[in-house]
Formats: sequence, C-alpha cells, structure tokens
Amino acid sequence: MQQIRLGDWLGWCPDSIDRLQHPQLLTTDKPGQSLPAMLRRRLDTSGRAVCDLLARLDPDARYPLIHASRHGDASRTLDMLKGLVNQEPPSPTRFSMSVHNATLGVHSIANDHHRPLQALSASGNELEAMFWEAAGYLAQGQSSVVVAFSEGELPEDYVGHTTHPGFPCAIAMRLTLNQGPCLMNSNTDGSEGAPHPFDVIRWLSGSTTTLAGRQQQWRLEQL
Amino acid sequence: MSETQQLSHDLKCMIIETLELEDITPEDIDDQAPLFGEGLGLDSIDALELGLALQKRYGIKLDAEAEDTRRHFESLAALQALVEERRVN
Repeated sequence: MQQIRLGDWLGWCPDSIDRLQHPQLLTTDKPGQSLPAMLRRRLDTSGRAVCDLLARLDPDARYPLIHASRHGDASRTLDMLKGLVNQEPPSPTRFSMSVHNATLGVHSIANDHHRPLQALSASGNELEAMFWEAAGYLAQGQSSVVVAFSEGELPEDYVGHTTHPGFPCAIAMRLTLNQGPCLMNSNTDGSEGAPHPFDVIRWLSGSTTTLAGRQQQWRLEQL
Repeated sequence: MSETQQLSHDLKCMIIETLELEDITPEDIDDQAPLFGEGLGLDSIDALELGLALQKRYGIKLDAEAEDTRRHFESLAALQALVEERRVN
C-alpha cells in the first residue's frame, strides 16, 4: 500500500478554548457560515463546524468525505431518549437528525456533493478507522479524500464515563498520495487511550510530535 | 391586540421556536404567503414537527395522510383558521 500523505488540514474549536493560536485553526463561536440558515438550524455547533471545514478543504465537492465522531450529537439523542422514557413523542426533526450520517447529509445538500460519503463511529478507534477507509478510496484511484473528526458537547450524565475533550471541536484533513508530509504509523503497546479531535489538533499544530491511539501511533515525516 | 391578532402572533412564535428558525421574527412571516417550498421555505420534516406542536399546544390531531392536512399548512392564515376551528385547549 502506498504511503498516505497529509495534503492540508484545518481545525475548529470555540474562541474561548483557543490557546494554540495556529493559523489553520478556525476559532469562531458561531460556525456554520458555509450553510444556508434553513440547513444550519438542523446541526449542533460541532456539526456546523465540520461542514465549514469540509467546504474549505473540498471547495469544489470533488472528493469522497469521511466523518467520524465517537459520540455524535449525544446531547440531543439523550434528550430524546429521556423524553421517550416520559412517554413524550420524539421530535421528528431530532429523530431524523439522530443518525450518524446527518452532518454529511446536510453538507452534501448544501454543497451539491455527489461523491461517496461515509460516517464512522469506532468506540475510540476513530482515527485508525478513518485512515483505513481513506486508504481504500485512494487505492481505488481517488486523488484526495477529506476526513473529519468531531465531538459535540458531552451531556453531563456521560462526563467521567468516556474520553472527551470537554468542549466541542473538530478537525479535518485532506489526505492524498502525492503531496505533503507522510503519515507514518507504528504499533503501540496498547496502553494509550482513545485520541479525541483536540488531541489531533494539538498534534498537527506541533504541540506533540506523535499521536498515539490504542493500537497505532502516528507521526508526520517530510520526505 | 385582538384575540385573532394574538393567535396569529402566538402561531408565528410557535413556528419560529419549534422549527428553530434563525434570524426570523414574527413580523417576517406573511399571513398569506406559502409556509412550504417558496415563501418561508419549510420542508417535509418541518410539517411533521408543526403537526406535533399543534397536538401538544392546541390538542389538534392531524392525519398526515389526509388531503385537507396539506390545505391547513398552506399559509399562516390557513393554520390559524384550523386552530380557531379545532382547538381543544
């Protein structure tokens, strides 16, 4: 298999969180400017940010898109489940948007995107899953694949039970075979936790040299 | 404000709040303009959401398959006529 390269990347986190001051980090508390208002209303903040990042890295809607999130829009899903317990009928909008591919669906409508779309959740192995899927598309002959990884607000009830950055954030990377630094991977001893999107942002901003997942760790190498 | 004007205002607020319409005020909603497609630009999921809101707030149960349901959702004025005729709370 050919080596995957990082063609470009962009990240997002709320203005109040930005301590990295990196030019490729968008810091707005109101993401979603790539979406018309009637579509924007359907997504939470991190979903809107993912759409903005995808629109910037795939402006001509040419590439396959992969969106990974470990928890998805957990706040709205949990609210809906609590309502069901209380015998309240679920909101049709919330129900229809509770699928994991909702963000990519909204983005594809807004941008008239007709290439492959894929939504992933992998219990903490999102990075491995994204890179594997991207490698598949690149091996098929796609010139680039844009992968996005995001987390929204974590409901209070889940805090302490899972790995989460503590605030909504998103990262998107354009992966290719012929431009940018190589994504080198090696096995880990399995002691590392599940990286979240802000870990990836820190890594790509240069705060850390490697990014360790449960099974693999990655570093960027200029050839 | 008359009772009719109050109901019109309440329905506009219900639409904006229920459908999470950004940057739209009650004054922006024309009583006679279509709610769906052109006009306000609502879609089929919004229709289901509005149906649920009417049930919760006014006790009106609509049959999603019935032909006259489409007529009730044509405009704010049509929706108001429905509520005036069939509200139970």
